[in-house]
Amino acid sequence: MRTEAARRPSPFRGFRAFFWTEVLVQAHENLAMATSMVVQGVLLVFVWILDPSLIGVALLGAILFSMFTMGQRVLNEAAYIRIDHKANDLYLAGPLAPEAYFLGMSVGILVVYLSPVVILWILAAFVVHFTVVLVLLLLGVSAVVWISAASIGYVFSTFFRDNRAIWAYASLFFNVFGVLPPVFYPFDRFPTALQPVALVMPPSAAAALVQHAIGATPLAPGQIALAATSLVVEASAIFLFAIYWARRTVQGA
Amino acid sequence: MTGEALRSDALRKVYATRGAPPVEALAGVSMEVRPGERVALLGRNGAGKTTFLRIASTLLRPTSGTIEVFGHDAARAPDKVRPYIAVVPQEGKPFFHLTPREQIYTYLRARGLGRETAKARTEEALGRMGLLDFADRLAITLSGGQRQRTMVATVVATQAPLLFLDEPTIGMDPFARRAVWESFRTLTTRGSTILLTTHYLDEAEALSHRLYIIESGRVLRSGTAEELKRSVGGTLKVTLSGGNGLAESFRSFGSVMDDGEQVTVIVNPERLSELMDLALRSRVSATVGPVTLEEAFLRVVGRSINED
Ligand SMILES: Nc1ncnc2c1ncn2[C@@H]1O[C@H](COP(=O)(O)OP(=O)(O)O)[C@@H](O)[C@H]1O
Ligand SMILES: [Mg+2]
Repeated sequence: MRTEAARRPSPFRGFRAFFWTEVLVQAHENLAMATSMVVQGVLLVFVWILDPSLIGVALLGAILFSMFTMGQRVLNEAAYIRIDHKANDLYLAGPLAPEAYFLGMSVGILVVYLSPVVILWILAAFVVHFTVVLVLLLLGVSAVVWISAASIGYVFSTFFRDNRAIWAYASLFFNVFGVLPPVFYPFDRFPTALQPVALVMPPSAAAALVQHAIGATPLAPGQIALAATSLVVEASAIFLFAIYWARRTVQGA
Repeated sequence: MTGEALRSDALRKVYATRGAPPVEALAGVSMEVRPGERVALLGRNGAGKTTFLRIASTLLRPTSGTIEVFGHDAARAPDKVRPYIAVVPQEGKPFFHLTPREQIYTYLRARGLGRETAKARTEEALGRMGLLDFADRLAITLSGGQRQRTMVATVVATQAPLLFLDEPTIGMDPFARRAVWESFRTLTTRGSTILLTTHYLDEAEALSHRLYIIESGRVLRSGTAEELKRSVGGTLKVTLSGGNGLAESFRSFGSVMDDGEQVTVIVNPERLSELMDLALRSRVSATVGPVTLEEAFLRVVGRSINED
């Protein structure tokens, strides 16, 4: 009976099992997977009608936007299972590491909601010339955007006591930061004065780098450095904070 | 490891909510639970039972005081405590898109149990809790009581050294409740310790070795159900109806409660015939029964409320 206790605590204890739990749970929501593509789908149709030459930029943006809104799913799920199901009490008052709870949930959501993103990749491959460098860059910035978004989503989830408030705030946050800045459209169409801001926000910073790579909107070396640095620094900082926060908030925010 | 499974000393919790006066949910609770014991926390809604369980199970920081689980500080060293405990939260629900079998199995795996052990324990818990008939149906299609049974089965299957169960049998039918009691008894004979809350006083009596009555964040009484029942001044309860001013006429026999319809009097057997004589002469109907824990609880807590 005491064997569970005898093992050394690790921040990943229980990760795999909780990840699978989340995959099983999420996989039942087929419609939600389709819904997760609504905003991207609508914007892509608009771009296709208004300026088909920009569809490549828009498709790459849609991929990044999809990675970003995974954070919204983490936020909704974490808050929902804590508030409605008391899953925090069930899972965290036990040997499952709080970090593994946060990561298992985030990666579970990622894996399930990746399937529609794959479709975007396939569509993009018809329009954009994929080089090895571009593929690696797109994978890299996708991962970084996802890490930031999932971390922000989990941290935010701990501040709410009521799911209703979350629907409003989460949707506002993720749509405003994912749609207004130049994610779906070329970076150089964004007001010059605000361009530095776009370069420090994860989704638009990632989009700017990708657009530069396909030659859609060339960036100055300084801009590239700013976008790349802010992406990596922010993602690392937010992620480390989320890891810390996941453990801290087990005993109440 | 110290002798106790759980020990709290002067535990206080004040909830501070913005824009509202602070609430002192626990006002200095000291108690201990020994290994292998089944202990029930009783108390009115808002007495502080859930707050106590949440602090003990490392889900809430106390404002002051100490609480130790198997000798480890639950507030300051929660990581040391967590491997030993499992919790049925008040109003918890299984994942709606898992079946009871999946819920129990994945939960055990997330707690670090190996495949074979998890599988065996899952089947055992499903059987014990009478869940086999719907073990492969998604929880969303189950009734409230069936979901609650799934929650209890999930936690019982851990066989954790210390289990915290907050109103575990709420919404269950009498058969299901008895299955749960049986599984709790089996757990403690295997060495686990159980701390639970319940509003079913028959359950508290059938299940627990000792009880704590909590009122306004304080321990009002503790002891066995027998001790508690004896503390109200008699072992028999006489229910009287069909007369006026009954409460006044029978007050000399013992503690009297008047609910408008009926008057109940707690008496000792020695004075029973005298009381029945008076009832007969006053043409009042009288029924005699043993004092129940519910009766004792109502009186002990009622007295405390009146004193405030
Ligand atoms: N999160 C909270 N914020 C503020 N007050 C709370 C909170 N949780 C519980 N309380 C208050 O603390 C007291 C004890 O609550 P609780 O421990 O849930 O009681 P019980 O489980 O015995 O019904 C109640 O007065 C309740 O209103
Ligand atoms: Mg409660």
